[in-house]
Amino acid sequence: MKKFSKILTAGLVGLAATALTAVSAMASGDIYVMFSTNVMSLDTNLATDGDSFEIIADCIDGLTQMDAEGAAIPAIAESWDVSDDGMTYTFHLRDDAVWSNGEPVTANDFVFAWKLAMTANVEYNYMFDSSVGSVKNAHAILHEGADPDTLGVTAVDDKTLQVELDNPVSFFPSLMYFPTFYPINQAFYESCGDGEYGTSPSTFLSNGAFILSDYTPGTASMTVTKNPDYYDADKVSLDSITYQVVQASDQALNGFRSKNLDISVISGDQVESVKNDESLSKNLNITGAGYMWYLTFSQTENASSDGSFANPNLRLAFTNAIDRESIVNNYVMDGSIPTYTAVPPQFATNSTTGEDFSADQQKFADYIGFDTAKAQEYFETAKQELGKDTFEFTMIYGNNEGDEVTKVAQGLKEQIEAALPGVTINLQAMTKAERLDKMQNDDYCIALTRWGPDYADPMTYLGMWTTDNANNYGFWSNADYDQLIKDCTSGAYVSDYDARWDALYQAEELVLKEAVIAPLYTKSNANLIADGLEGVEFHPVALNRVYKNATFNS
Amino acid sequence: MGRYIIKRVIMALITLFIITFLLFLLVRIMPGNPFPSERMSDEAIEKKREEMGLNDPILVQYKNYISGIIRTGSFGKGSSLYNGAPIATVLPKAMSNSFRIGGVAILMGVSIGLILGIAAALNRGRFWDVFCTVLSIVGVCIPSYVFMIFLQYFFAYKIPFFPFYFNNRNFLMSSVMPALSLSLFSMSTVARFTRNEMVEVMDSDYVLMAESKGMYGTKLVTRHILRNALIPIVTVIAPLIVDLLTGALVVEKIYGINGIGKLMVDAITGEGIDYNWVLALGILYSAMYIGIMLVLDIVYCLLDPRIRVSDDPGSSKEASDSTAAEGTVGV
Repeated sequence: MKKFSKILTAGLVGLAATALTAVSAMASGDIYVMFSTNVMSLDTNLATDGDSFEIIADCIDGLTQMDAEGAAIPAIAESWDVSDDGMTYTFHLRDDAVWSNGEPVTANDFVFAWKLAMTANVEYNYMFDSSVGSVKNAHAILHEGADPDTLGVTAVDDKTLQVELDNPVSFFPSLMYFPTFYPINQAFYESCGDGEYGTSPSTFLSNGAFILSDYTPGTASMTVTKNPDYYDADKVSLDSITYQVVQASDQALNGFRSKNLDISVISGDQVESVKNDESLSKNLNITGAGYMWYLTFSQTENASSDGSFANPNLRLAFTNAIDRESIVNNYVMDGSIPTYTAVPPQFATNSTTGEDFSADQQKFADYIGFDTAKAQEYFETAKQELGKDTFEFTMIYGNNEGDEVTKVAQGLKEQIEAALPGVTINLQAMTKAERLDKMQNDDYCIALTRWGPDYADPMTYLGMWTTDNANNYGFWSNADYDQLIKDCTSGAYVSDYDARWDALYQAEELVLKEAVIAPLYTKSNANLIADGLEGVEFHPVALNRVYKNATFNS
Repeated sequence: MGRYIIKRVIMALITLFIITFLLFLLVRIMPGNPFPSERMSDEAIEKKREEMGLNDPILVQYKNYISGIIRTGSFGKGSSLYNGAPIATVLPKAMSNSFRIGGVAILMGVSIGLILGIAAALNRGRFWDVFCTVLSIVGVCIPSYVFMIFLQYFFAYKIPFFPFYFNNRNFLMSSVMPALSLSLFSMSTVARFTRNEMVEVMDSDYVLMAESKGMYGTKLVTRHILRNALIPIVTVIAPLIVDLLTGALVVEKIYGINGIGKLMVDAITGEGIDYNWVLALGILYSAMYIGIMLVLDIVYCLLDPRIRVSDDPGSSKEASDSTAAEGTVGV
């Protein structure tokens, strides 16, 4: 028996030692960060989600980088020149940028990656297209079968990259920090097997602040460690970042409480209890998540809709019957912002004045707000025009898109039915994939949906409501609007910044005047950030979190 | 003997083939879209469907799928999960995680379950019997993920002894809690079955006979009682093994274990349904079930001559059921 208890004690001491090593590994310089979804890909061309973009950007620098305010600052390109007509960018690459296999980063790495994006059938190659980056010939390659080699990007020499555009794009340098525009080392890419690139640390090259050190597809835990060969290595003070995929909000909160996570995102209904908890409230930090939730109405007659929403007055009645403040305060509860503009606040700023495009949320108060009397007026007109007194609609929403979405849908139903007697809304829950499928096939009536900005310009939202745009799920069509958007992307306003800005407001007014969509709220993230962790830059667009300047003194 | 095994193998293959076909059909008619992209143009999505052959008649698709597997010896690439990374790159790691944790869970569950069951049977009506019965009922009733949350709360959060999340770099420590919670169900099932089977055998005439001949103690238990009680217990353990090896969907999800259970959930509930992954995992699950059952049948037949004989006239099931009751006492 004595012997047994000796063995038992020895075993316990051993286990305790292991546990202690595990705890001491979390010393200063190593941080633990929560991801809320799986990382789907580390291939810059294939990645489509914010978490994947974040870890890619830890490891790979593009031509430019985001500063704390989201402006483009030099990265692999130490400087760039723009031709007078704004149609040619010449990027000068820095000499000391190297890949983690020791090879220098060259202009050809960009040419290769961009042409690859043209040939591969990938989600984000539209960023090269005429509505966004307008890289020369991208439209012809993507839609008219032109040769990908004709893309307007050339390696003048190893360290000079020339990009030609089809028309001036004022925000072009800020597109360059989006992962789709990142370089890929051609020889290394081709040495990886088919589909193997970016699936493990040995099939991934880094040229950025961190090196991928632990990753397999589908893993719930992955680590990047500081890159000693990074050109800016002396500015990087974190030693490693370990990401942990946590999909349940209780796990996220307890993970932070038990110091297993240094950055954690909690759900709206946890925010109140955290605020009341003295030890935690100081760690709460609300940041913009970027995407805007809105209602879209199918304006066509389809299997799920009688086409009543082709009537603008009915849509206006809806958008004025919604109490956005109450939705945000009672259901979302994480600091999200009630939104009364078609372009959400926080991501697009005027480069000359520095003002947020949507700073003034009352700008379109004539068309959108919470005013039951006005809503009923619109509703009366709609009833007369449609010759009907009672309406029954179905609203679809995704039940795997966040804890609050179901509550928001129920709240909307209550508010609208209360404000507009005669309207009945049936709620129908489904997965996000099914919801999108129904919207894309025009088999819905009202949908609760969202959109996140891809780049820091109002066009990432306004571009969606043109005739024939795939995201124009309502099938709204307005010739004036189409013309305005065309003028802003490739026409009269492209080289006149202020005129373009004004034209974008005119376009936004048209959207709200006809209630093409009913904007609801702009999502925020309620983050818990560990004491002593500073300098993590949060962004609502492109890269959610940037760690290059972060410091941790635990 | 040889003929019996060949017959079994052929039947297993036919079953697997039928299952692949049914799975293929079911996956294709599942609601949802494999490419629910918000940013790709209709032409681009159409091109993807064309590349994957989704526009072909379903029988042609099935033929291509099966011939692809036979030709390349692999399940090909995913259609959307992990953006089309080859299944052969992702699956082995996930299988090794699930198998290692599942393996520990089986070892714990079966060994503790057997000990508890034997202790209960030998102490019928006394403390150990009651203790074992209560424990098995609790174990069968509590879902493994609830137990997992309980363990995590007390032994990783309140007392931070085990890692709070699964961590591949610290595999040993992080597999303790999931293995323990997963073993709960099999432990209880094995304990209950062992107790009941043993009690039945202990009441049988031949044990009475052995006892009356003066046999007692360990020899009686191991030689006569346990040996005869074990065969039906093995039948119960076999499907438990497959269940545990193929990953526990919820436990893997909660604790962040990159195993095949989590892969299955991701393949179905991701942005788009990944047809190839759902199929590959479905076939893997079925193949393992069928494989274990096949091995079990063959092992029975090697162990007990009557099961082998029963291949011809009677049914093997009947023979295996009756084995325990009749016993093969060499007295």
